[in-house]
Parts: sequence; C-alpha cells; structure tokens
Amino acid sequence: MDIQPLLKMEKVSKNFPGVQALEQVDFEIYPGEILGLVGENGAGKSTLIKIISGVYAKNHGHIHFRGQSVDFRSPYESQAHGIATIYQELALIPHLSVCENVFLNREPRKMFGAVDFRKMRQQTEAILADLGVHISGHRLVKDLTIASQQMVEIAKAVSRNAYLVLMDEPTSSLSSKEVDALFNLMRRLKEKGVSVVFVSHRLEEVLRVVDRIIVMRDGHRVGTLSRTDANESKMIQMMVGREVGLFPKTEVPIGEPILELRNISGSNGVRDVNLKVHKGEIVGLAGLIGAGRTELARLICGADRRSEGVILIDGEEVQIKNPADAVRNGIGWVPEDRKHHGLVLDMDIKENTTLAILRRISNRFGTVSLRSEREIATHYRETLSIVTSGLSKAVKYLSGGNQQKVVLAKWLSTKPKILIVDEPTRGIDIGAKAEFHALMSKLAGEGLAILMISSEMPEIMGMSDRVVVMCQGRVTGEFKRGQLSQVEIMTSATKFLNLEADSTMPI
Amino acid sequence: MEKNTNIRSTESAKTFQPEESETLRQTIRRSLAVPQVVLFFIVIALLVIGGIINPRFLGVDNMKIVTRDIAILAIAAIGVGFPILTGGIDLSVGSVVGLGGVIVAYCMMNLLLPVWLSIILTLILALILGTFHGLFVTKLKMHGFLITLVTLGLARGFILVLTNAFPITGLPREFNTIGQGYVANLIPVPLVICVVIAMLAYYLLRFTYIGRQIYATGSNVDAARLSGVNVDARIILCYIFSVVCATIVGMIQAARLSIGHPAAGEGYELLAIAACILGGVSLMGGQGNIFGILVGAALIGTVQNAMVMLNINPYWHKIVISLVLLVAITLDYARRRRESMNR
Repeated sequence: MDIQPLLKMEKVSKNFPGVQALEQVDFEIYPGEILGLVGENGAGKSTLIKIISGVYAKNHGHIHFRGQSVDFRSPYESQAHGIATIYQELALIPHLSVCENVFLNREPRKMFGAVDFRKMRQQTEAILADLGVHISGHRLVKDLTIASQQMVEIAKAVSRNAYLVLMDEPTSSLSSKEVDALFNLMRRLKEKGVSVVFVSHRLEEVLRVVDRIIVMRDGHRVGTLSRTDANESKMIQMMVGREVGLFPKTEVPIGEPILELRNISGSNGVRDVNLKVHKGEIVGLAGLIGAGRTELARLICGADRRSEGVILIDGEEVQIKNPADAVRNGIGWVPEDRKHHGLVLDMDIKENTTLAILRRISNRFGTVSLRSEREIATHYRETLSIVTSGLSKAVKYLSGGNQQKVVLAKWLSTKPKILIVDEPTRGIDIGAKAEFHALMSKLAGEGLAILMISSEMPEIMGMSDRVVVMCQGRVTGEFKRGQLSQVEIMTSATKFLNLEADSTMPI
Repeated sequence: MEKNTNIRSTESAKTFQPEESETLRQTIRRSLAVPQVVLFFIVIALLVIGGIINPRFLGVDNMKIVTRDIAILAIAAIGVGFPILTGGIDLSVGSVVGLGGVIVAYCMMNLLLPVWLSIILTLILALILGTFHGLFVTKLKMHGFLITLVTLGLARGFILVLTNAFPITGLPREFNTIGQGYVANLIPVPLVICVVIAMLAYYLLRFTYIGRQIYATGSNVDAARLSGVNVDARIILCYIFSVVCATIVGMIQAARLSIGHPAAGEGYELLAIAACILGGVSLMGGQGNIFGILVGAALIGTVQNAMVMLNINPYWHKIVISLVLLVAITLDYARRRRESMNR
C-alpha cells in the first residue's frame, strides 16, 4: 500500500513484573480504516490500546503518529494529538450529568466564563440521537444502566473530533439495536476519514464492520486478515491455536419445578412476572437492555424490595427479604457486574470462594476453619479449572474468565438449588466462554435449575431449554427449545417498545 | 485444553518451591516490602538514637512511661481502626475518652457506687452510644463522619454539664490501679489491658468469620451483602468496638491521674486516627491489620516521649507529630502509585 499509515508501531514491547504483555509487536492503521483487534483475554489487546493512549509507557520500540515519532506519557497527551479512547472500564463521573460528562474539561462557554448548559445539553443529545439512544442530557450518569453509560462514553469519545478512535470492547454490554447504531456511527466516522480500532470478543460483530483484522495471542501479533478472507472459525483458530466448540448444551431430563415466581412486581420496574424454572433446566431470559431482567434477578435474590407476589422453592412459599435469606434458601446469583457485585477484588481466591459460606465453615467460637477453606477452594480450582499461580492470589489479578469462575465457585460452594447467571460470559475470552457453557450444561445435568440472563442471541439460542422474553418489566413471550426463532424473540422483546421512549428503564 | 493444564502445572510448581525453600535473604527482603515492618525498625532506631543522646531514655523508669503511653494510645487506635476498616470513621474518640473518665468518676464520687459497678455502667453506656452510631450509619446510610462529629460536640458538652467544668478528684485507690499500677512491679497495667484487647481484636479479625466479613464489607459492601453477609450487623459492631475502646482509654486516663478531668482526651481522635494511618489502615476501608496499628501507635508514642526527654519545646510537639504523619503517608502514597503504574 502506498498510503502512509496514520499510526505505526515498530517492535513495541511491554513487560509487567513477571509477565511479558507485548513482545516486539508491529502495528499499523491507515487513515479511514476500521481495524478489528482480536485475541483472547491476556493476549495483549488492552495493553496495546493503553500504550497508544499513553496509559502505560512502552519498554521498547517506536510509535509514529501522523508522520511524527511520538511517546505519549499520559492519556491527556494522546487526546491532545487527536486520539480518543473508550476503555473497557467505564471512565465516567457518576455524580455528574450526562452532558457534563460528555463535555468534561471542554465545556462550551458563555460570557464571563459561565458554562453554556443549554448548548452543552443540545449537543450531547444530538450526538446521542446519532447513536440511536435517547437519554436526557440532564440525567445523572449513576442513574443509568451500564449499557446507557457505555453509550455516553462512546458519545464522549466521538464528540472530540479525533483522527483515531480506540474502542476497547465497547459492545460488551450493548443490545443488538445499540450495536447497530454504533456500527453505523463507525462507518460515518470512516467516511470522514477517521480511523477506528475496534476490540471485541464478539467475532461476528467484528466481521460485520471492520476492513482488516489483526489477531493477537500471548503478546504477539499472530496474523492479519482482510475482511474478505476472514471468517469466525479462522479467527478463533488463530486466537487460540485450536478448534473450540461453542454452546454445547446437552439434553438432560427436566425434573419438577424448583423455582416458581407468582405475580412478582417490584418498585424497580418489574411488573407481574410469572416464571418457573425446573430441575436440570436452563431458562434463557432474553430481552433488550433495560427490559427488567437484571431487576427481576435482584428481586429474586432479595437485593431489591418486592412489592407484590410470592416466590416458591420446591413448591413451598419462602420469605426472601434480603440477600442472606436468598442464600439460605439455595439461590445463587452470578451478577452482571462481577467487579462490583460479585467479587471482593482485594481478597484472594479462597477468601472469595468461601465468602457466602463463612459461617458454615466456622466452629462455634466463630473461628473459620482455614483447612476446610483451602480444601473447598482447591476443589473448585480443580473442577472449574481456575488458572492461577496460587489460591492466595488476589482476584483482581485474574483474567475475566477466571474471575467469573471464582464467582461461580462462591455460589456452587453454597450448594444452591437455583443459580441465576446474569450475562455470564460478558467480557470473557472465547476459550473460557466455551468452558463456561460446558460447565453450565454440566451443572444443569447434575440437577441445578439455571436462569440465564443474556443479551447474546447465539448464547440464548444455544444454551436454553426454554426462552422467556421480557420487555419493559413484563414477560412478553415464551419459547421451548426446538421452536426458537430469533425473529420471534426479537418481536417479543420489542413488544411494548415505544421508539420515542428512553432506552433505559423508566423508574 | 492440553495447553491449559500445562500452564497450570508449571505455574503451581513455580510457586510451591519458593514457599518451601525460601532463603533467609528472601524472607528479609519480602518483609521489608511491608511498610509496617520498616516502621517497626524505625521505632527501634529511634529508641537506640534516643538512648545514645540521653541514656535515661532507655532506663527502666522511662520505659515504664513510654510503654504506658503507647498502650493507652494503641487501645484507642485499635478501636477507631474498626470503623475505618469498614470504610467509615469515628471522630468522637477524644470526646468519648473524656466522657468515659468523667462518667466513671461521677458514678464513684457523686453516686457513691462501688468501683466495679461504675466501670460496668460506663461500659454499658459506651455500648449504647456505639450502637447508636452504628444504627445511624447502617439504617440511615449516614457516613460515620457526620454522626460521630455530632457526638464529638455532644459528648464534650455533656461532660461540661455533668461536671460544671470542674475536675472530679480523689478517685478510690483500687480504681487508680488500672492506670497507675504495675504487674510484678514492672509491667504497667494499661499495657496488660492493651495486650488483651489487641489479642482479642487480632483473633477476631484474623481468624473468625466476623473478621473476614468486616474486611469484605470494607472492601466491597455490595458484593458482601449479595453474598449473604449481614453487613449492617458487622458495621454496628465496629462502631460499638470503637466507642468501648475509647471509653476504656478514658477510664485508664482518669485512673492514672486520679481525676475525672473535663478536658481529658481533647484532640485524642487525631492521634488515634494517625496511628491507624501510619500503621497502613486504608481510609478507603478493607485494608489494615492490628500489627500495623500497634506499630503506628508505638511510633507516635516514642516520638512524643523522645521529644520530652530531649527537652524539645512542647509547643513544637504537635508540629513534629504532624510532620511524621505527613512523611509516612507521602511515602505510602508514592509506593501505591508506583504499584498501580506497574500493574
């Protein structure tokens, strides 16, 4: 190609204590190109992004941006050069409004330096409308769902008029409608000559939007594919160096109902939900972001207050007023946001594994049996194949897939009857994802009743014995395995949807 | 799949070896990476230097004073460490120290109650006050800073009303033992009380499920609650512990001077909180241990005593203590920054 690359990295290396995160990586992106960057977790994608944006300093190598040799020492420097970054972890300020976040540090001014709030709000809402979401610019970020926050983050980045936009897993919490809007936006950026680096685990999405794909594995660049020769299995093979089967839910006999919800309503938006989950069954809970699925899970687990309805376990009514009641009654919940709701990041693997059963492994003086703790943690490390150098490692140092396994270990150790998993494979690499699906299938086979919330259609279609669809807090459809159709699920999921309405839950 | 198992086996082999065959040198190196251990050596160094400049500093008489001072501060610091571990704070320590001393003196001298009953009544009062703090923090979701700030003023005011700002003097001799007495003519009684409290607190935090749940609550209250931890009960317990410890300090100080003094404990919350911070207790909650708090208290106690022994103008004492705190937290922040950059 004759065109000069917009950004070029030569033999860039980065090592952290004990880990070679990047080794002699060459990387280039051309003007007006959408580049897909794929690889398993730990392959070095995020590190690469963070070196470009100046969060990390490289150890070796050179970077050229727009023909100049650059060495960004902070995210601020890369922004000043015209590089906008959307990080995997959201970087919004919860107590500020949407528009204040979007225009943070470059607020439009009126006379005497006062902030022009009206202009700020109008521009923000225009950008968001471009993305296909309708969120009021005045709402506080902390009141939005994670998906909406993600859209705000994207709006913030694209409003900077950058030459290069780096997106590290922007779609992991978006619904398919929102993903479509984001892709349209990426194409429009491309038309304007802006380059986009798109990191994602959802390979089918990568194929839909990019021009070229760079595959990484273990800190190396292992290959480059143009869109025309790329397909999913080729990418997966390059990423993991082996073939992986996805969604292997095996048929198991379905038993009597374990969990039954009758007319459940709550102040968090859930309205009159009836639902049964049987022994050995995986019920997929589908719907758009904000349909009230996580909220339903919170009601079942006692995290939010239920205003009406009863919960039956094994046919008997149970009182669930707080999460402790739910744990006692055999309900486990692997939450969507594992870092905030699932794990105590500073604690180690064994401490997280036993967090919900501390009392059961303590003697009558309250002393925790460190021996049973080690035994239980070792057991789950083996059965769930948690990859770690030791059980005393703080979970914050584990990869997403292994963190998720620790959350799962925590709940399995309580010997639950019902497991609710909320977006179980979000932000997890392909290999771990397949492992996780196999695991859920095995657990169902052992008689666990599983309620699986997922926004990934292939996951819903592949894993569920039955799919229940929610929209605006209500159940709007139910499909058995064998009569599943993506179109019908989507129709149910948008049944009450008023297109003018906010895409988040009305509270 | 095969690749995964390989990684696991080699990794576990790597970590198991050093655990078993760690050389002395590695052990020293690893412990020097813990700031509290370094602090501990600084305390020792201070004692040695002080002893060289003024030999009386290391004499038995002065050591009795130093260890008693340190013990009293350590009790208050251990107490306030608990709310800090949950991510809260207790600002009422100083006023509660004063209140504890005055109440116990009032019970004995004005109500003419026996010593043991006065002590128990004072502790019950502490229990109620701590519960009150804890309920505000958990049920009203109020930050500990606010409710204990109210008590800071309220308790001091109550002391003044109760005593008319006059000290209650002439406390019974058997009561004074807890502040002035010695075990075997050598070990100050407050030091014994401190050791008992420290061991209890250490055991609670390190070995019981309650301690584990306190750390979990301080690190990530949502994850703890969703795992079925009775978060509210743990937080309330921590606030109770803080007030009870401060009350015990109040009684010891009253016994030491044989006076229930209305101004006792003024500003003591700063020393107690400083000891925790020096000892590595994170104000964000979830991090810190009893050993660190003890070392922090020892450092402050030693520096204060050294300044007396070296005839440093008392007006400078506060400045020196604050500068020690500034240096320690600056170094600690620099270290954390370095760690997060490397990660």
